[in-house]
Amino acid sequence: MTDDPAPLLHLRGVAITHDGADAAAPASASFDVRPGEVVLLLGPSGSGKSTLALATNGLIPQAVPARLEGTVAVRGLSTRETPVATLARHVGMVFQDPDAQLVTGSVFDEVAFGPENLRMPGADVLARTEQALRRVGLWDRRTENPDRLSGGGKQRLAIACALAMGSELLVLDEPTANLDPAGIEAVYEALALVATEGRSILLVEHNLDAAVEMADRVVVLDAEGRTIADGGVDEVLRERADELDALGVWLPVSTMAALALRRAGWDLPRLPLTPAELTVSLEAAEAPMPYSVSAEEEDATSAVVPPNAGSFAPHAESSRLNTEQSAREDHPAVEVRGLTLRRGRRTVLHDVDLTIGAGEFVAVVGANGAGKTTLVQAVAGVLTPPRGTVRVDGADPATIALRDLSRRIGFVFQNPEHQFIAHTVFDELAHGLRGRGLDPDEIRARTADMLTRFGLEAKADVHPFLLSGGQKRRLSVGTALIAGAPVLALDEPTFGQDRARADDLLRLLRDLNDAGTTVIVVTHDMQLVAEYAERTVVVHDGRIRADAATRDVFADEALLHEAGLRRPPLQQALRGVIRHPQLAGITALRDLAGGRG
Amino acid sequence: MTLDPYADGPPGFLARTSPLAKLAAPLPAMIVLVVARDLVTPLVFLALAYLLIIVGRRMSGRVAALLFLGIPIGAVIMGLALGLWVDAGLVDDTPTVLRIGAWTLHAGAIEAGLATGARLAAILALGLIAGLTTTGPDLVRASVQQLRVPYRIGYAALAAIRFVPRFGYELELIRQAHRVRGAHGGRGPVAAVARWSGYVVPLLAGAIRHAERVALAMDARAFGAHPDRTERHLLPWRRRDTVFVVAFWAVSAVVLAALFPWGL
Repeated sequence: MTDDPAPLLHLRGVAITHDGADAAAPASASFDVRPGEVVLLLGPSGSGKSTLALATNGLIPQAVPARLEGTVAVRGLSTRETPVATLARHVGMVFQDPDAQLVTGSVFDEVAFGPENLRMPGADVLARTEQALRRVGLWDRRTENPDRLSGGGKQRLAIACALAMGSELLVLDEPTANLDPAGIEAVYEALALVATEGRSILLVEHNLDAAVEMADRVVVLDAEGRTIADGGVDEVLRERADELDALGVWLPVSTMAALALRRAGWDLPRLPLTPAELTVSLEAAEAPMPYSVSAEEEDATSAVVPPNAGSFAPHAESSRLNTEQSAREDHPAVEVRGLTLRRGRRTVLHDVDLTIGAGEFVAVVGANGAGKTTLVQAVAGVLTPPRGTVRVDGADPATIALRDLSRRIGFVFQNPEHQFIAHTVFDELAHGLRGRGLDPDEIRARTADMLTRFGLEAKADVHPFLLSGGQKRRLSVGTALIAGAPVLALDEPTFGQDRARADDLLRLLRDLNDAGTTVIVVTHDMQLVAEYAERTVVVHDGRIRADAATRDVFADEALLHEAGLRRPPLQQALRGVIRHPQLAGITALRDLAGGRG
Repeated sequence: MTLDPYADGPPGFLARTSPLAKLAAPLPAMIVLVVARDLVTPLVFLALAYLLIIVGRRMSGRVAALLFLGIPIGAVIMGLALGLWVDAGLVDDTPTVLRIGAWTLHAGAIEAGLATGARLAAILALGLIAGLTTTGPDLVRASVQQLRVPYRIGYAALAAIRFVPRFGYELELIRQAHRVRGAHGGRGPVAAVARWSGYVVPLLAGAIRHAERVALAMDARAFGAHPDRTERHLLPWRRRDTVFVVAFWAVSAVVLAALFPWGL
């Protein structure tokens, strides 16, 4: 590490303790960002990455009550004393929630807002605003209300706002956590353009697949928030991947796949970071002699995949699904027939048919506004469907009492806080059992059982709003299940969450599914779909555009593009591999032998 | 009436008049209308306000519906209903319109009720001269530029308007979630109060978090850094604004003088 005379951003021994918190997170972060660099800041959940981002322009400690130790300097200016407004000329910030950054009534005024606050002359404001909007491709939409932009559009607008301030350094805190795949792509296209102009970027991001290609350097914090790695992408990500993986740092999916393959005996000397690199590595590698994709699929795969594995062969999973198809029709958990739903004058769902069998794990995907949430809400009785169009476990949500419906299907909202109605965690769970003539002892026993199952025993008397984010999510799943529902529907359960928390939840769902619960998940996260869902339903413009085994859906690129979706990175890499046909059909990391199940 | 406070103002000479002039001009007339008791005074000002809106603003379907259906129908219904409440002792020298048992409806009661309806309609219409021709940002700009309202307050208020639709949406989600969970079912006012009080905590929690985030985002863009900020849209007080206000006041004075004592 050379100490540049004037690094743009300079952090030494930074420890930040939020008011009311016991420990500092980060505990001791040190790194520099020099002009023109793109730096990726990684670390496990709770290491204080977002907190650190807020310290780069003085919001901590000036606007957020927290204690800051160590040095944070922007162009030599201490962020402790220099006003945020002065620092804002050097450091522009883009936050995670696209809706919480809007102030004015038009795209143009939004970008002009910052320069106006800096008292720039009107002509300069106009010139800067136009330049920034053209840079992110929003100039043609300058007169629109920012509310009308998609999530990706709003984040590009936030980038333009930071550019217009004249910031040399752009700090982004998980800018794509709330976006659909097309939105993520658009944001990174805009960022890549910004990087080529020579501005610096400090990026806190879990979605490394999109970010790693533009990064120059990687800084890694450990669980307490101490800098444990600071160097080039190759030096940190390729050479220390095992160590980072063990630490709980999320790596690019291609890197995780290569680690899994290495454990299975593959010789991959250079760890890949992108799908293209993984493809190349695999083409160059010899398959280890006794290699099987996974015990259950070996026979099926070798039997059905023709020698030219590039074609879309029916896969093991789809043949298994075919045998499951009859089971599905014999024991449907959910049946939808001719469901048409309107919201106001707009028809949101057109004549939808769908059958979900007991015990399935189904993903419902589609672009924003496609109608996927509406479909699942109608199934769960959140929206009342027309009579006779939906049957859940033999009952019609349109006519059955809600209390009885809650014993057949549980619905988990995107924001768990919305569905909390009691003052303690215990009552929150017990609510689903009360008023049904059950013995109080039985209610107590079943609630206690649920508390144990979801690791909330110690929190029984706590107000639900005081739980941590992960605990709130687990509680919301618990409340949906306590009445004994065999079907669980979830709306974007990983929306805006970091990967570690998302992983916890998905493992929980898989355990429930293994124990027989039917799981229906609405999501944007394609790798999640690939990892967990056997079957994927693609909703597009209020109609079911595809309903098939997950790997078959991901094999159809035209379909994905039309529906505003993207192929998950692992499959992107493996589909290009010609030398090892047995890998071509794999979509899930856990199907690579040696992968963690 | 437009609900988007940011939408462009409609064309017409009223849109080019200062928002403050449009608020100041009808003020004396509005104050008198609060105390007036006759039917003619409010009707004259109602006609005056309508004339200005029709001439000074491009007519749209919604505005026409508001002016020619919403306000008249509302005023008549309210007037008739209020007529039933008028103290019969004050009007028992007027002809009887309706008699049911011992209860008598006098013509004077109907007239008093309709006069009240007309007063409310006239006050509303005078307010709409500004309301239908001014955008939220323009009102803020004019207040900051002429009235010296601190811009931090003005623009923060404008940002807060953004919260309204968001909270509406969030409230809808919370209602759905609580309904599905079978929280506080039942009918009647007691159940309704219990139900709504259950929405308060999640709504407030979300609102506070959102407000904090917006405040950070504004700070990060140097909001409030200087005693003033660049105003790209200057809304100076022009001579025609003075003319507009003085002329309106003069017309108001003539009408009020002619109709004195306004039924008092």
